[in-house]
Amino acid sequence: MTEQLRESLSALMDDETNELELQRLLGRLGEDDELRQTWIRYNLARSVISGQPVGRLNMDISQRVSAALAADIEPAVGMWQRLSRPIASLAVAASVTAVVVFGGQQLYQAGVPDAGSAAPVAASGVSAVGFVNSLGAVPLRASYGNQAMPELEPAARTAYRELARQRMYLYMQEHAEHAALNSPQGLIPFARVPNIEE
Amino acid sequence: MGITARSLLQTLVVNVAIAACLFSSSLALAASCTEADAEALGWLAKMSRSYREVAYQGVVTFQRGDDLQVMQIARSMEDGRSRELLTRLTGQGASVVRMDHPLNCTHPGQHLLLLGGLEQAPDCALAKYYRFQVGDGDRIAGRQGVRVQIQPRDVYRYGYILELDRETGLLLRISTLGRGDQVLERFQFADLHLGEPRAQQREVQTVHPARHPHPDVPDSGPALSAPWQVSWLPGGFTPTDSAAASSVRRTYTDGLAVFSIFLEQLSRELQPGEGVAREGSTTSYTRGMRLSGQAVLVTVVGEVPVNTARMVADSVRMVR
Repeated sequence: MTEQLRESLSALMDDETNELELQRLLGRLGEDDELRQTWIRYNLARSVISGQPVGRLNMDISQRVSAALAADIEPAVGMWQRLSRPIASLAVAASVTAVVVFGGQQLYQAGVPDAGSAAPVAASGVSAVGFVNSLGAVPLRASYGNQAMPELEPAARTAYRELARQRMYLYMQEHAEHAALNSPQGLIPFARVPNIEE
Repeated sequence: MGITARSLLQTLVVNVAIAACLFSSSLALAASCTEADAEALGWLAKMSRSYREVAYQGVVTFQRGDDLQVMQIARSMEDGRSRELLTRLTGQGASVVRMDHPLNCTHPGQHLLLLGGLEQAPDCALAKYYRFQVGDGDRIAGRQGVRVQIQPRDVYRYGYILELDRETGLLLRISTLGRGDQVLERFQFADLHLGEPRAQQREVQTVHPARHPHPDVPDSGPALSAPWQVSWLPGGFTPTDSAAASSVRRTYTDGLAVFSIFLEQLSRELQPGEGVAREGSTTSYTRGMRLSGQAVLVTVVGEVPVNTARMVADSVRMVR
């Protein structure tokens, strides 16, 4: 990996890339395994520093590297965390806003992704979304359901958020049909349907 | 006269014996519940029964963040069947109506709540997943409430504060609580009249007859080309109906929360990824991935935390 790429990656983490650079970098992230690993390590380090459970960042990284990183950084975390949590959290928040805006169509891929890397691999806990998901089918250890939003894959973030919103509208009434018979509020679940259809 | 009095007395004696028997057995079986849990579960069961026993009409508000909806709801009963009507008074001119619902028809979600209030064998399963506390409630719509606070014991569900009508058990208010006891959504009566509702005409453009998916008969909705399964569910969740193995939808409930999973088979490859949208207590989590070589979009919609939706979506598998 070139020094330039490494710098771009740092800039991406700090939300300091320009649009062109960002496009180029995310394109490379898709193809360049080494670059992706570095991105993951950067994210891991950022997570540890900001006091987030490491499990939240979904590691396609070996246990050994992960443990080494944690061992290096963790002893310092207590004080660092107390003093700098708001700032560190902000930095992470800023880095995850560095996304490429995809139209819905752009989620469709021309080439077929490698089935091996894309299919869920429950055993290692790395699933279809690759490095953004560490949970696999195993029960949760570190929770973010009650904490913060999970970190989503940066590249398709916006398009997928839009997809989730569209699906909520599409499926809400069908969900309400069942919720209305199985939760304590009677027909009230239909109040959640944006536009009730006949 | 003498005989009548004696048989009446005999009946009384028998009834007292049965009552005593029930009392002792319920004490024995309820041992695994704490007293607070048993009391709360009794109220939840009373609430669930109230849907079969109480006719009413009222105005309710439904609040999610800054959005406040006002609706009229009514429920009447005749010949062992109930009729429910919800009419939006703000926003969209729409009504939802459920006609002729047999009073003895209970669905899995209601069943889970009723079980906790059984005198003979109260089921404390719900207390495995929630912590309960009963206290004096607020006055709501002119009625005195009983407050039931419900806290989740794990991270897979939300908390609730219920206010039930002390007399009938009707749900007067329910607040759904997220992280840090933040209120995500609140439903409450503003006005409530018990008894058969008077017919009231409201002008609406849309009337939707609520569907009645049978708990035991697979619905004949759209199907996929292959069966699929969910290999992980949070504890205490059961299917709400017998959806077919290849149905595009599955729905699960723990009695308080409900979520549905929708699976779409895509004709083209989609870049793998995930996204979340939230409204009030509703989460919509969508993930694009490949399952058994097939590009799919899995969406979980329901009143559960994002993390729960994500875990469930993660566990969807095609059945080979």
